[in-house]
Amino acid sequence: MNAIQPSPVHEGLLSVSVTPPSYRHDPSSRIRPINWNRVTDEKDLEVWNRLTANFWLPEKVPLSNDIPAWQKLSPEEQTLTMRVFTGLTMLDTVQASVGEIAQIQDARTEHEEAVYTNIAFMQSVHARSYSSVFSTLTSTKEIDNAYEWAVGNDLLQERAKKVLYHYFGDDALKRKVSSTLLSSLLLYAGFYLPLHFSVHATLTNTADMIRLILRDKAVHGYYSGYKYQCGLQTQTLATQDAMRKFTYDLLDELYELELAYSGALYEPLGLMDDVAVFIRYNANKALMNLGYPARFTPEQTAVNPEIMAALSPNSDENHDFFSGSGSSYVMGKGEDTTDSDWEF
Amino acid sequence: MSTSTQNPSPAMQPVSMGIGARKKYHTLNAALNLFTPEGSIQFEKDHEAVALYMAQHVAPNTQRFASLKEKIDYLINNEYYEAAPIQAYKWRFVKNLYQEAYAHGHRFASFLGAFKYFTSYAMKSFDGSTYLEGFEDRVVSTALFLGKGDAILASKLVEEMMTGRFQPATPTFLNAGKVQRGELVSCFLLRMEDNLESIGRSINSALQLSKRGGGVALLLTNLREQGAPIKKIQNQASGVVPVMKLLEDSFSYANQLGARQGAGAVYLHAHHPDILRFLDTKRENADEKIRIKTLSLGVVIPDVTFELAKRGADMHLFSPYDVHRVYGVPLSDLSVSENYEDLVANPMIKKTTISAREFFKTIAELGFESGYPYILFEDTVNRANPLEGRINMSNLCSEILQVNTPSSYDSAAGYQVVGRDISCNLGSLNIAAAMASPDLGASIETAVRALTNVSDHSNIDAVPSIANGNKRSHAIGLGQMNLHGYLASQYIHYGSEEALDFTNIYFYTITYHAIRSSNQIAIERQTAFEGFERSTYADGSYFEKYVHGSWSPSTPRIQELFASARVRIPTPEDWGILRDSVQRHGIYNAYLQAVPPTGSISYINNSTASIHPIAAKIEIRKEGKLGRVYFPAPHMTAQNLEYFTDSYDIGYEKIIDTYAAATQHVDQGLSCTLFFRDTATTRDINKAQIYAWRKGIKTLYYIRLRQLALSGTEIENCVSCAL
Repeated sequence: MNAIQPSPVHEGLLSVSVTPPSYRHDPSSRIRPINWNRVTDEKDLEVWNRLTANFWLPEKVPLSNDIPAWQKLSPEEQTLTMRVFTGLTMLDTVQASVGEIAQIQDARTEHEEAVYTNIAFMQSVHARSYSSVFSTLTSTKEIDNAYEWAVGNDLLQERAKKVLYHYFGDDALKRKVSSTLLSSLLLYAGFYLPLHFSVHATLTNTADMIRLILRDKAVHGYYSGYKYQCGLQTQTLATQDAMRKFTYDLLDELYELELAYSGALYEPLGLMDDVAVFIRYNANKALMNLGYPARFTPEQTAVNPEIMAALSPNSDENHDFFSGSGSSYVMGKGEDTTDSDWEF
Repeated sequence: MSTSTQNPSPAMQPVSMGIGARKKYHTLNAALNLFTPEGSIQFEKDHEAVALYMAQHVAPNTQRFASLKEKIDYLINNEYYEAAPIQAYKWRFVKNLYQEAYAHGHRFASFLGAFKYFTSYAMKSFDGSTYLEGFEDRVVSTALFLGKGDAILASKLVEEMMTGRFQPATPTFLNAGKVQRGELVSCFLLRMEDNLESIGRSINSALQLSKRGGGVALLLTNLREQGAPIKKIQNQASGVVPVMKLLEDSFSYANQLGARQGAGAVYLHAHHPDILRFLDTKRENADEKIRIKTLSLGVVIPDVTFELAKRGADMHLFSPYDVHRVYGVPLSDLSVSENYEDLVANPMIKKTTISAREFFKTIAELGFESGYPYILFEDTVNRANPLEGRINMSNLCSEILQVNTPSSYDSAAGYQVVGRDISCNLGSLNIAAAMASPDLGASIETAVRALTNVSDHSNIDAVPSIANGNKRSHAIGLGQMNLHGYLASQYIHYGSEEALDFTNIYFYTITYHAIRSSNQIAIERQTAFEGFERSTYADGSYFEKYVHGSWSPSTPRIQELFASARVRIPTPEDWGILRDSVQRHGIYNAYLQAVPPTGSISYINNSTASIHPIAAKIEIRKEGKLGRVYFPAPHMTAQNLEYFTDSYDIGYEKIIDTYAAATQHVDQGLSCTLFFRDTATTRDINKAQIYAWRKGIKTLYYIRLRQLALSGTEIENCVSCAL
């Protein structure tokens, strides 16, 4: 499906009408329905197609197969896992109910609006999926404790509020930067644990689910970063400079917060040195998505090969069907067979 | 059935240091998936990983003994090893056999091979803290057990296994010689009939077989459809889906008793009225009440369905309840293709219709979403079946194809008639090693004898219909693996004319020797499998194409390959002599060959799996007990990389052509997975299925999909990303 050449009628329609989010600025404008046959930015369609093909629900993953592995974890390891996942749930909740939706009003195309509704929904699916892990592996009391911890943990609160502040601000570009940093940087410290598990054959079905989440997140962070760069191009040099400074400052703040937050979690298991490298790697990745040079040197970001090799968002694990449902299946594209296909 | 591993003793976790500890050998192994800055694959890192794993993990955790005698006594006295299989031989012989095994200087060729062996196969102390066996010990233990006191056979088996030519399937290799063990056979197929006693009994059998580490397939075709009458009252029956739910939960329950994943499959005929409900259980958005997560699905498709789809017609679905009443036989035992018009015309048979093409499209959609269902081409399979009777189902890996007969039960679910259900034990030859054998025919004979002994050892008394079937048929499944690895090592491209030529002649040769060996056993024991006299072996028609056909390599390269390997290709005269001997003495095994997917054993044996192409140059393997591990394609070096095109790039035609070349010689089936990129559509999958059916493929196994990261989101320097 390629974009159709612009036509005068279409151009005319665009100039006399707005998409629904603009209503609040000008109730008198004419509203137009979304037209997927007039795609102006091919990236919107590419991302939409990828996201919809990758639709999934946590119910497909046989999480209960992880119960024996869960029971083998020490109480400290179980607590760490619960907290890491509750922390991830927090960020996904922020994204689902505010972060992604806040970006709809900033959309540069009507199709971008649609893409963000999809992203917002999938963020809710992700938030929901951690609950599936909890309810499968643990008890209500433990779940309540983890949520109590999340609400009481100042660092986690601050991480969430740092980005929320910009989501509710009045600068569209700052919203994009915040959202990209959250998707590409903040979440990943949490993903380190299940990736580490998957290397060590623990909670492998949970790890399959996390791979599905990673597959989505890679696209989300990339897309927000891409749209940010599109928006930035239209700005004055002065604004561009200011945004660069803003981005690096916010990155530094979030990075420090991340070290403090993850340190408290991972330090007791001796994993924090590796996690810190991983955070820096993802900080660079976030900057790359936003179109900026790396903040950290290659030496500072040399992630363990086993985590690095597991991070690829490719869906290419050759899984054993008898121990899990895998992470590579997608919604198929339906296409009818024709008479010639049946010539025999 | 060999892709899963089992371990009947609980708590078999080797020494763990807690999840916080990183392991250097994992780091080295993962480096396989990361290019060097110059862009080359780091093969040597994986070798370092093996060495480190053996030195840091295996050696310190292996129990040492002062002598072999002390070790064997310890293992017997502490109920690790059974005494009888060892004491069936003279001690001096046993001692020499161990020495012979050690003299091979075995080294694991990959980290995954070593890791898999020690994680899943090696015997550990009951507390799980120490290894009691290395690879050679497992081989000797298996050889002694399968030799059943025959020193010559045991000695040959050690030779075959240590050279990697023959590798018994997981349940045999894992369990042989141990006191605490599961069954040596792990592949079971059960019929289910249309009454509650049969359903209840089948669930019980599924539990019993799962507990013993078996993978179980069940036939649902005969169960009455949703809305069928019960005791003549209409709209009473609930159809196949609730039975599937019961089975799924049963397998999960049995799973908890051992360390193995309970594994089950169900097969349903395409013309069963519940077919769409059956398929929809695998939908991404299926309701929890009907969603099937872990049960595998298979669909039995007759030729007529293809004919109907060709015409763009509707396909009729027939009530199995009515079919049984009207025809006097269950739906599974009736040829739907032959009786289709009659069934459609018969007013006594309740029927519904769906579009045949929509049916195929639905199957393809599910292939995308879940990899299922397996497909069994019913008429192809029955045309190729040398025995009397009908084949109506396959197993968990879709390579077992045998006839069965129903059981009947009294109201207390006791047996009135013990029918014949199916079990099969497997073992595979490594094609590269087999071609290097000093005597390929003798290697095949040793393998057939070993597998036959496994069948003789088996008596599954918990499920009388299985025990009955095995006792009468002595069925075995000799498989093959490492086709792609071998071809690439000879600089032949998978799926090329030469590759197809090789596949044809290789399987042709195997078939000759397999039948010759089974005939030899029948002569020695003076008995053939039950029903031999009603088979196409007995009337000689099986041999027609070999006695009157001409089977020799059509390309100079393959001619040369067989000549330089000194493998003699059987002639029509050889076949004539064999036919005469078979007609006179019979063959011992009702079924001889079946080509399994060979997951685990091919990693240990350093083979490419089965006869398909590699999944990737560096395969990312994910298993419950191993986690995420990287496996370099066997025989691959920096020099022959171009011959290691992966399955997704090779495409379905060449894979199907390869399978077709082999299928014409194999009496049972071959697990055939199809590989697609996510850019494929349901039409592409349908075209592959049509192509497979036309080429005479008997069954299709999973659909595997690969989706590459959206451009812009990849990880740099990752080998699996560079495609």
